[in-house]
Amino acid sequence: MKTRIRLFSVAIALCMLITACSSGAPEGGNSSGNGDPTQPSSQTQNPVEKTPTPTPAPTQENPGEVIDAELTAEVSFGNYPPDTAPELELDTFDRWLEILVTQYPNVTPIPDYYSYTLDTYTPRAVGGTAPTIFQPPFTDPQLLISQKLVGDVTDALEEYGLLEKFSPAFVDLLSDENGRIFGMPRDTYVLGLHLNLDLFREAGLMNEDGTPQYPKTLQELAEKGKIIKEKTGKAGLVFPASETFGGWLWTNIAWNFGAVGENALERQIDGRWVVNLTSEPAVAALEYIKSLKWEYDILNADATTTTWASAHTVLGVGEAAMNFAANDSVSNPTATAGLPVESFALVPFPGVEGKDAYALSGGTAYMFAPDVTTDEAVACLALLRIAGLLPFANAEIEAGMRADAASRRDRGVPVILPIPMWNDPEFLALQKAITEEYTNVDQRLYADYFDSMNNGTISLKGEEPVYSQQLYRDVTAAIERVIANEDSDPAALLGMVEANFQKFLDSNVNN
Amino acid sequence: MTDMKRRLSNRSKLRQNAAAWMIMAPSIALFAFFIWVPLLQSVVMSLFETTNITLDKFVGFANYADIFQNPLFGKALVNTLMYTFWSLVIGFLTPIFMALVISEAPRWRGFFRTAAYLPNILPALAAVLLWSAFFSGEESGAINSILALFGAEPTSFLDKSWLVIPLIVLISTWKGAGATALIYMAGLSGINPELYDAAAIDGAGVFRRLRHITLPSIFNLGSTLMILQIIAIFQILYEPMVLTHGGPDNSTLSLMLLMWRYITGGDMDYGKASATGVLIALILLGFTVIYNILNKRKSDSV
Repeated sequence: MKTRIRLFSVAIALCMLITACSSGAPEGGNSSGNGDPTQPSSQTQNPVEKTPTPTPAPTQENPGEVIDAELTAEVSFGNYPPDTAPELELDTFDRWLEILVTQYPNVTPIPDYYSYTLDTYTPRAVGGTAPTIFQPPFTDPQLLISQKLVGDVTDALEEYGLLEKFSPAFVDLLSDENGRIFGMPRDTYVLGLHLNLDLFREAGLMNEDGTPQYPKTLQELAEKGKIIKEKTGKAGLVFPASETFGGWLWTNIAWNFGAVGENALERQIDGRWVVNLTSEPAVAALEYIKSLKWEYDILNADATTTTWASAHTVLGVGEAAMNFAANDSVSNPTATAGLPVESFALVPFPGVEGKDAYALSGGTAYMFAPDVTTDEAVACLALLRIAGLLPFANAEIEAGMRADAASRRDRGVPVILPIPMWNDPEFLALQKAITEEYTNVDQRLYADYFDSMNNGTISLKGEEPVYSQQLYRDVTAAIERVIANEDSDPAALLGMVEANFQKFLDSNVNN
Repeated sequence: MTDMKRRLSNRSKLRQNAAAWMIMAPSIALFAFFIWVPLLQSVVMSLFETTNITLDKFVGFANYADIFQNPLFGKALVNTLMYTFWSLVIGFLTPIFMALVISEAPRWRGFFRTAAYLPNILPALAAVLLWSAFFSGEESGAINSILALFGAEPTSFLDKSWLVIPLIVLISTWKGAGATALIYMAGLSGINPELYDAAAIDGAGVFRRLRHITLPSIFNLGSTLMILQIIAIFQILYEPMVLTHGGPDNSTLSLMLLMWRYITGGDMDYGKASATGVLIALILLGFTVIYNILNKRKSDSV
């Protein structure tokens, strides 16, 4: 009997050990860290000391008067922070719900911890258990609309006065052929380069004024990456060459080598979609990635299994100095992976000498369950308004924005300006003023990134128009081959991908 | 027998079997609801063009034709056969060996049985993540840390196309072999000890006893477990999905992962995904039929 008890104890101890070991695994998906009520940062570690007694934003202490006692709805909010989220974050979200039910006594809010992924969303939508509001990336709205998996919220948006503030680009993205609208933009991103300044410092690549000597061209990226590798022993660049991520980043590199216009990767010619992956710039982009591995040797060791999320962790824990990433995921290497905000910078996507520079732009939308009613959509918009996430410049929005900025600052997330999504100058000015007031970073470490979009140094470009995810996956396989095999031939590999993908387009789009 | 007598006999049989049917009814209902109906729905769905999981238009075998034209299908099929091959090489004999060794252990047999089973209680995804830390190409990777003690340079394991499938099978074997070994141990415990005694008196050594008593006694059990292993490994999904995402260069893409990609790869094509599932089922049915024919021939010859 004693033996059995001993064995049982050993088994329990092992289980506990294993559970403890696996609890720190990085979470998938990007995180904006902007305090959105439907988007927690979901970090498992918080390097910043928590505020001892968290208090809601001062101007949000009073939940205000009843706004609409008639509005009756039961709404579930996707991406609600789990109970394991930092206390400060939970308190902020709970406070927003409290205000919501004060202003709308007949609204029943239900926190839903669900975080959208394409594979898990379909069964929930078809089974009637999708959260009332959730957040798909910009790659998915058209697919969800065509598959009838999202609800029409045109009337609610109109009632809230949001339609007039929409940028035309977002209307196209979020509407069907009849002009009905199924969502609204949540945040936008522009690809750039995340830097780990500790490694730049160790490699002697910092200016005296505390700014980094970051690479402005892809050639410089390879050279500076090599210096970093030699001086620190760490990877110059973490490159997520798995799933679809490698192909996704490759498109941006290819554009900068000149795969635009006549050399565009996807073009419609006489009504037929044609893919062109064997142009000189497209092949040069893959050869460039190959050179990063076999000529400069600056890539992280497990590039072929690195995902978008794990790439941020690799940078955050100091195993790599650079990562192609955007403004919407600055919380991942910092608050989530533990890199102090003062050791982090975001700079423009490197170009190619003598060529036009591009940066891939995309984002995340708010969309709604397929059976959403106008009242339910209005209740969701009310929560976003309370959280300061709708484009109105009033005291309540200001209070929400302040609470959001304070929460990010306290969690160790860089407080930086979002990329504008709405046409409302007053709202944009308020956003700028509050960001400046709460910022916890040296703005010079982000200035070139934002300036490059405003001064025309870099042009923003959306994803390739047709079946981009499929394209990325196919190209990623070719990237994995050039990283794994020194003797691989980039032109031949892209030729194969091109032939297969053209067949796919012919049978799915051109028929 | 008159009609009356036959009817009475049938009624009596029905009465006799009623209890058995009542006991089986819940299981049959659950099987029908969770296995047979979805299976039939998959077959139907594979013949339709779909909008999410709604059937739109009957397209006959067009989904199957599209799958055969997809260059990844051939690759996934070959990979899946490679998984099966390596699973038989690495994973089939390991539990038999473990069962034999543990059964012969003079002491602490209970401890070894528990220890062998322990990896099985680990959640599958946790096991894969645990091993990914072992195979990490970083200096901090477990294997690289050990190699560094002998002065070796760190090396990447998961970007070598020829190596990744055996590594994935190794993980599956590590996780599942203990449970299979327990089944073999149960089989071994059923062998009449007098056979061993008689063989020992006749002067048979360990290996002759193993060859002429032990292995023939567990042959049928081994055959059944082998076909179950083939069925299981043919449906391998989460190990390559989590460890390598099907890469590098689709070298670990399995048929199940290809099916998954039809749903999540950007076009949400449940029709083609169902068709892939039906093809997997047909291939496995083929394996099982061949196995049964061979097994029957062997039994007949004996």
